[in-house]
Amino acid sequence: MALLELSGLTKRFGAFTALDDISLLIERGEVHCLLGENGAGKSTLCNLVFGVHRPDAGTMTLGGEPFDPRGPAEALQRGVVMVHQHFSLVPNMTVAENLMLGRASAVLKPQDIIVRMEQLAAEYGLEIDPEARIDELSVGERQRVEIIKCLLGDPQLLVLDEPTAVLQPDEIDALLAICRQVALRGKSVILVTHKLGEISRVADRTTVLRQGRIIETVAMEGADIRSLVRSMVGRDVQSAGSVLAAAVDIEGKTPAKSSSVGPTSPGEAVLQISDLVYRDPHGVPRLDGLSLTVGTGEIVGIAGVEGNGQSELGLILAGLAAPSAGAIVVGGTQVTGCTPQEITDAGVGIVPEDRHAVACIKELSVAENLYLGAIGKFSRFGLLDKSARRKAAETMMRDFDVRASSPDVSMASLSGGNQQKAVLARELSLDPLVFLLAAQPTRGLDVGAIEAVYNRIRAARDDGLGVLLISSELEELMAVSDRIAVIYRGKLVGELAAGSFSREAIGAMMSGHAHV
Amino acid sequence: MIDEHMPVFIGSGLRLAVPIIFAATGEMLSERAGVLNLSLDGMMLMSAFTAALASWATGSPLIGVAAGVLVATAVAGAQAVLSVTLRANQLVVGIGFNILALGSTTFLYREIFGPLSRDPIPGFAQLNLPWLVHIPVIGPALANQTGLAYVSILMVVVTWLILKYTSFGLAVRAVGEDPRAADKAGISVARTRYLGVLYAGILAGLGGAFMSVADSNTFTENMTKGAGYLAITAVIFGGWNPWYTLAACLLFGFATALQFLVPALQLDVPVALLLLLPYLLALVAIAGFVGKSRQPSALTIPFERGG
Repeated sequence: MALLELSGLTKRFGAFTALDDISLLIERGEVHCLLGENGAGKSTLCNLVFGVHRPDAGTMTLGGEPFDPRGPAEALQRGVVMVHQHFSLVPNMTVAENLMLGRASAVLKPQDIIVRMEQLAAEYGLEIDPEARIDELSVGERQRVEIIKCLLGDPQLLVLDEPTAVLQPDEIDALLAICRQVALRGKSVILVTHKLGEISRVADRTTVLRQGRIIETVAMEGADIRSLVRSMVGRDVQSAGSVLAAAVDIEGKTPAKSSSVGPTSPGEAVLQISDLVYRDPHGVPRLDGLSLTVGTGEIVGIAGVEGNGQSELGLILAGLAAPSAGAIVVGGTQVTGCTPQEITDAGVGIVPEDRHAVACIKELSVAENLYLGAIGKFSRFGLLDKSARRKAAETMMRDFDVRASSPDVSMASLSGGNQQKAVLARELSLDPLVFLLAAQPTRGLDVGAIEAVYNRIRAARDDGLGVLLISSELEELMAVSDRIAVIYRGKLVGELAAGSFSREAIGAMMSGHAHV
Repeated sequence: MIDEHMPVFIGSGLRLAVPIIFAATGEMLSERAGVLNLSLDGMMLMSAFTAALASWATGSPLIGVAAGVLVATAVAGAQAVLSVTLRANQLVVGIGFNILALGSTTFLYREIFGPLSRDPIPGFAQLNLPWLVHIPVIGPALANQTGLAYVSILMVVVTWLILKYTSFGLAVRAVGEDPRAADKAGISVARTRYLGVLYAGILAGLGGAFMSVADSNTFTENMTKGAGYLAITAVIFGGWNPWYTLAACLLFGFATALQFLVPALQLDVPVALLLLLPYLLALVAIAGFVGKSRQPSALTIPFERGG
């Protein structure tokens, strides 16, 4: 008998139908992947199962009994646990304290938790120091705490909402292994993802969602990944060979280089970074004499394990942090320590790493966001000419395929992919523009949007721009870059040209075993 | 000469610190849960008045304290409804309650006590604990306090134990730091915050009642003179830690007591300046220390469950 049975689940938010008549069986001891683009309803489905939202129609049964959780507490009671995309850990408390939260009796007994943690460590290989504070842990370690938290109560069903989006390749491997361990012990796992490579490595069955509906549920043995992609996006992904290859990457083989190869020899230097040093406010050195040149018409990728200075490099190039030493020249103009406005004026477009915090103001409209840095352009005698701005915004949205019902809707109402397209539209429409920084430009985006972003970046390169691409996705770097430089502890430790990319070589350099 | 004044100075410093200790300790717990009760002063004032009234009417200071605590807790309940359930701006709500408290107690005081304002109100006697008297210098000052003063220190210990060793305390810390995470762990954010605010109300009630029935045995208009605000400052000064908050309260108490010591020592310092001292100290404390200690991340931010 199936562990969880969903029949006819429907969920609406206002006029928007997030889930439409979903019926699905989750068997005991299976890893069931939910695949779909952003906004397909994967997260909503998880939230219904976990009691965060309640369905407008339809019923659920768990272990044969009716299941209608009115909140997470009730779902937890029934043995349904969930690891959310955003971790639910209190940062200034210890691991043990976080694990006791919500399940301890009146007086805390830390010793009980520590004993239980030792059991789980032995069973699943989930090892972590109970006394460590959450804010001292890496992302992968925090996720491990989340999973331990879930497994403490010996659950029947473990739901993971896009757990690999934030992880490094080796951490992903470890996570998928844990999923299999959990399933081996007769528990069920629902894994939400839009990374196809993971599905083929871990799933027993996969359900594809699109626009709130189930397109198909397939057993993974002998399944065709390409047909899954077609079900997911609802069309053939044209010219998305590299995306697909990167996403699939089943055997860990190098994806084919994109067909749209740029100019073979880059032109003169458009970005010159020399001996850049940066110490963070706590005095910790983050960049340690980094030098790099990007020429016109070339995409240079920066690879590295997160926390090796690439974020800081992005902040400094955007003018959001001032370097401690070193020089940055863009197209002959000194921009070291300049304000973001001066850097923009020098012809630098920035797609920042943190889309929500830095790139846009979610509460403002799309049009306002598109012309955030150019308010003066539509100002006459100090008054804003909104209709002119609206028209200009409409044109830009059409050119860059930003899908929104109108330029006046709030940025927050757009999907992640469309928000990112809007940011790209704004930055690529700057005049003058000689250099583009794209930091983690596809983070959290679905396959269709990723394809659009790649095409935009390649087109910018073909127009003669120099592009610096900072990414934690090795496949992405290999698919898009003309040259990959590897950053390790604030320094570039090696460089590879297109054609000679290899995962092994880059991976070795990323972990500090430099061999150029 | 300073020797003979010392016991009096220490005694009055402690006595003046007690209401602030009560209020600050409760407020500290509430703020750890993410709710700032700017209405603390209003709660204390309402309690001071109600305690005086009930004690005068029944002849029992104990009933007075109970009535005061009850009224302060009711104000806290209203604060909780507005700031937790209705997600109103906590600062605005607090200011509103303070104005209401000042206006209503002044009005009722004039209506009820107007002609009888000289009548003494039944209050608590000092305990004169024999085993404390013999400690040199501070002994007599420690021993000659009312029972409520010792309760205030007890409440600091209790609050510290709650925060450190109970699951409710863990929930309080989680809710004040990351309510979303707490919610997902199955903790009711609203319930935890309600309890936190009510706890602050009970303790502010004890502090206010102490002022009228244990300290001065009378009620005067606006008798808290901003003690609630000092308590909020003490919480910041104390970095949201019960013991440091206690130290800050004692500092404010002794700073206030200087206005008795300095004239007794016949030092030529204007009394008006001394009256100002605790408030000046509070200002300096906040300016100098607020940057160092980190406040609970979700302080004053209403919680709304989202996907």
